[in-house]
Amino acid sequence: MQNMNTPRLSDDAPVVLEMSHVSKSFGAVTALVDVSVKLRKGEVLALVGDNGAGKSTLIKVLSGYHKPDSGTITSKGKPIRFESPRDARSEGIETVYQDLALIGDLSIYHNMFIGREYRKRMFGMKFLDNQKMRGMAEEYLSTLGINIPNVNSTVDRLSGGQRQCVAVARSIYSAPSVLILDEPLAALGVRESAHVLGLVQKLRREREVSIILIVHNYSQIFEVCDRINFLHSGEIVLDAATSDITEEELTRTVKSGLGRLLRPEDAEIALAAVP
Amino acid sequence: MGIVSNIKNDPVGALSPAGKRSVGFQRPTTPLDKALTLLSRYREASIAVVAVLLVIYFQIGSDNQFLTSQFLSVVLRDTGRLGLIAIAEVMLMITGEIDLSVSSVFSLAPYSMVLMANSLGVPLPLAAIISLVMGVAVGVLNGVVTVRFRVPSLITTVGTLFLFQGIVVWINDSQPIVAPIQEPFNALFGQNLFQPDDSLLSWHAVTAFTPFLWTLAAVIVIALVLNRTTFGLHTIATGSNIIGAREIGVRTDRIKIYNFMLAGGLAAFAGIINTVQFSSADPQAGSPFLTLQAIAAAVIGGTSLLGGSGTVVGALIGAFVVATLNNGLVMVGAQATVSDIYLGAAILGAMILNVQVNRLRARRRI
Ligand SMILES: Nc1ncnc2c1ncn2[C@@H]1O[C@H](COP(=O)(O)OP(=O)(O)OP(=O)(O)O)[C@@H](O)[C@H]1O
Ligand SMILES: [Mg+2]
Repeated sequence: MQNMNTPRLSDDAPVVLEMSHVSKSFGAVTALVDVSVKLRKGEVLALVGDNGAGKSTLIKVLSGYHKPDSGTITSKGKPIRFESPRDARSEGIETVYQDLALIGDLSIYHNMFIGREYRKRMFGMKFLDNQKMRGMAEEYLSTLGINIPNVNSTVDRLSGGQRQCVAVARSIYSAPSVLILDEPLAALGVRESAHVLGLVQKLRREREVSIILIVHNYSQIFEVCDRINFLHSGEIVLDAATSDITEEELTRTVKSGLGRLLRPEDAEIALAAVP
Repeated sequence: MGIVSNIKNDPVGALSPAGKRSVGFQRPTTPLDKALTLLSRYREASIAVVAVLLVIYFQIGSDNQFLTSQFLSVVLRDTGRLGLIAIAEVMLMITGEIDLSVSSVFSLAPYSMVLMANSLGVPLPLAAIISLVMGVAVGVLNGVVTVRFRVPSLITTVGTLFLFQGIVVWINDSQPIVAPIQEPFNALFGQNLFQPDDSLLSWHAVTAFTPFLWTLAAVIVIALVLNRTTFGLHTIATGSNIIGAREIGVRTDRIKIYNFMLAGGLAAFAGIINTVQFSSADPQAGSPFLTLQAIAAAVIGGTSLLGGSGTVVGALIGAFVVATLNNGLVMVGAQATVSDIYLGAAILGAMILNVQVNRLRARRRI
């Protein structure tokens, strides 16, 4: 199943980001229950699960957007508390959120650099270096092969796929050590999807970036991921290497809605569960 | 033509449907197109056109009395006062908030300044700085209540409006007090209006316009802050998409509080200039009407009530339009009370024009 050009990850690669026993609820809704996730250096981890299973909540805890009700986060071996996504970003954790977190009223290039703007000193004060940001945004987007007319235009004029490309480009080019992608391919065309997946592999291979990927298309998972975590009603019910499980088994497991791994011999159970 | 350049940019030839009419490749062709493009590219353009038309109308209607130094010093004084408050509202409205308490700060700050100078002997410049800090402190209160306690700013600032207006009226039984004159403080912040026999080359010609010149300086500074600094970028981000801004690490709460502080400071500054101008501190100098006129100036100047976009230059021109209507109508013989009717109609007209220009343009583009 493993793609030929993805190196097999050694089991003793150091853990770069870890969440242990994290719970999170919103009022009466419990989104995460005692969740523990480990991410190793240079690893691509897939997070799968039904709609509303808690995938986005999980990655928002790792990105500093949500504070966990209980449990801890460990980054590069030391316990850490994120007060805001700003803290997570300065730890090298970059996230493409499901809602993309783009600012519709700002230009594409301002969106690419918001939160880490380039500035230059003038009259003793620091002003935005728009020229530099414009140039770099153009360069990034063209190396990504994205068809975007003009980096000066505001983001609210872009198509859904173009927006997603801008959000992905922003995170990829922020030199992250951990990259979290929440359904980054949802709005992308076939060509653009392939391109982004290619970049994911390249980032891992060349810079040992660790990546968490939420995708609903399982063939894409088996193309690029080392490990799969299956989140079911806020709990991690499966943690398996992609080499230990087949695409068919994964599909059947998730489809059954039972929240446990179904091997081929469990076929009748799976059938019974599907109405 | 648009399509040709797009194909060049698309080596694989997989044109997305959106790409065909993508922004930035179409050149406006007919004069109407050009005018519409200009009007919509610069949000200040439509209000600037209105301002020019008004000036022409009043200049003709008043037998060339409008464009005289004497009359303009009145119009520009009012423009300056309104403009300072309008740009404060612009910054807040960009973040998606509003401040209705500015008029109470406009009364409170100069009143405290004069009290400090008269009864404690504090030099005016120092008293002015302390009063500015008080205005900023009111902003902190507005901001913290709005952001931390999640009270909508519309309600927060109505509360602080009554609170501080009540306090300033209560201090001295709503008696106005005469402001001391201490040079060069008074000359710096504006003494008197331009008189008919004043020479344009006299020092007075400058001091007569200082309230407006201060506002002009403030507009330039705030415009730079809004368009050229990280703070400005984050201010727009906060109002445009607050969840997205938080996700990407913008400290939206702080940004809002800072903008409330800025509003309080600007309102205090406007009040101080107003008091120096009239040599008197009136506890009722600022009425909520002043705030509403400033908000109107901001909105007809091109600032969105929904947050995410706004222009301080537009707000200044908007303030000029409001001040021109207020003074010009009286000059051409209208009753002072009637001018509000025209003002109301003008606000509605300008807003309809603004919205329609954007829609028309969107339809022709696509
Ligand atoms: N801000 C919030 N306030 C209240 N409830 C929330 C909030 N965010 C998420 N939830 C709830 O938490 C649960 C998990 O949501 P989450 O967005 O993490 O799901 P998901 O796995 O990402 O789903 P999807 O595949 O549809 O994106 C859902 O029941 C959702 O209603
Ligand atoms: Mg989700």
